[in-house]
Amino acid sequence: MDSSHRLFSFQRILAIAANTLTELTRQKVFYVLLIFALVLIGSSVFMARFSFQQEFQIMKDISLGAMSIFSSLLAIVATARLIPQDVDDRTIYTILAKAVPRFEYLLGKLLGVLLLLAISVVLMSALFIVVLYVREQTVVSETLRQMSRAPREQMDNALNAVRAAGLNIDILAGVAVIYLKACLLAALTLFVSTFATTNIFTVVVMVFVYFIGHLQSTAREYWLEQQTTGWLTRAFLALVALIFPDLQAFNLVDEIVAGVAIPLALLANTALLGIFYIGIYTLAATFVFYGKEL
Amino acid sequence: MTEEAIAVEGLTKVFHVPFHRKAIVAVRDLNLRVGPGEVYGLLGPNGSGKSTTLKIILGLVSPTHGRTKIFGRDSSLVESREAVGFLPENPYFYRFLTGEETLRFFGKLCRLTGSRLNDRVRELLELVGLTNARDQRLSTYSKGMLQRIGLAQALVNEPKLVVLDEPTAGVDPAGSRAIRNIIADLRQRGITVLLSSHLLTQVQEICDRVGILARGVLVREGHLEELIAIENRTELVLENASDALMKEIEKLAANSNAKLVERRRSTTTLERLFLDATKRNDETEMSKPEEMTKSE
Repeated sequence: MDSSHRLFSFQRILAIAANTLTELTRQKVFYVLLIFALVLIGSSVFMARFSFQQEFQIMKDISLGAMSIFSSLLAIVATARLIPQDVDDRTIYTILAKAVPRFEYLLGKLLGVLLLLAISVVLMSALFIVVLYVREQTVVSETLRQMSRAPREQMDNALNAVRAAGLNIDILAGVAVIYLKACLLAALTLFVSTFATTNIFTVVVMVFVYFIGHLQSTAREYWLEQQTTGWLTRAFLALVALIFPDLQAFNLVDEIVAGVAIPLALLANTALLGIFYIGIYTLAATFVFYGKEL
Repeated sequence: MTEEAIAVEGLTKVFHVPFHRKAIVAVRDLNLRVGPGEVYGLLGPNGSGKSTTLKIILGLVSPTHGRTKIFGRDSSLVESREAVGFLPENPYFYRFLTGEETLRFFGKLCRLTGSRLNDRVRELLELVGLTNARDQRLSTYSKGMLQRIGLAQALVNEPKLVVLDEPTAGVDPAGSRAIRNIIADLRQRGITVLLSSHLLTQVQEICDRVGILARGVLVREGHLEELIAIENRTELVLENASDALMKEIEKLAANSNAKLVERRRSTTTLERLFLDATKRNDETEMSKPEEMTKSE
């Protein structure tokens, strides 16, 4: 045994993260959610369509929407039960009775969930990209066949239009932001679960947070546009914005579906905002967890 | 001077009930010292504050007043638990892991890797008699097996102090005997053991010193033999004593103003009877297939 204690050990965090990942992947809920998402993404190819642009738009809309909802749901459901379950099984006592700092325990748990979300998002993205690529190639072949006698320039324009509407780099940006949103929700769920007494409570709170997070920017814009908005309303809106994450900021699906290019600056800003939220929630979770009587 | 394994000074723990004005005093002004290599039993009825005391010693719960130290280091410091193993009451652990995976996980938490981890896991499975169940998931383990794997995880870091909360509660006599044998083995190796229990006979067998908690207050404490001895009485256990000899002893006692309080035949314990009976039964069961093969 190495008798010297280390205040921070990545090995301990990795051990907890790997164990959390094993725990989550051995649960049926993970597979049920993932299969639902994969079926939805796969079935987007059969949706009604009038043109290839519409077809690709519908595919992107459904697939990215499914990825966003299922990864968010998975983040909340998977994270909510981690700490209460460990307390119920008394496993938390055996872990923290060893020389494991509480923040390492929390980081390990969070890292395990983030790995699970990464696996899920990669699987969903892979299926989405394959489906979209296959459809794009089919449309390209059809276009080539239909325009075989058209002038070269016209054909190139048509093919460019197909490719622009199909698979492009912005989809990866959209996927990255969806993953970031799920990570943020996982961190926030972890924070709520540090003071919640049951995982049902955590899930209910998180469902409210999810809706408030998506609606708050619209509400804020509406209230701030009103001439009569007083300081009390403004203070309240500022408080809401501080406590609840602005989840609408992590929604790039509309832009991607509409074919609007995602500027790098917007992506960087969104990523920074996400990392900021994750950091704040993890710190808050650590602060509460250190004061928790087990 | 040898450092105390555990030192508890003026410990008080008050739990405030949310939305109520009342507070519950779980432990009141507790002072406790456990020397290195000692097996100390914390006794008391349910709700007497045993588990709370153990949790405070392990830094899982913070004290309202007072302080606790492990080998001279404040319990609130993470590094004080570097050489500590803990088995909580009724643990379930991660049911999705096998016995071996469980020990590997806890070993990694103690920064064991490679061959050291492999060797330690193998040793511990052997020590607690779970080598054959190493690949079984904990969800299939019996209560006694869970306690034993719990004990193994508590020992994974080769601790100098092992804290056991009701280690034999709910375990059948054979499992309980196995756990007590392991505790006796720990004492032989100089490892300090602090255990809580309300199974008094078992505690009597394995503890050097005991403390009795009642409503959070330490009401009695000391060496077991001193605490349970009846000062003015002496027991003689004789083998093959004839009636004539017994009469002679009784006469001598009467002549010296001593009083023979009780004369009875020595008995075995119910536990020993049970273990012998079930062992013989197991042996018979195990030999049955062989007998059948012979008869065939």
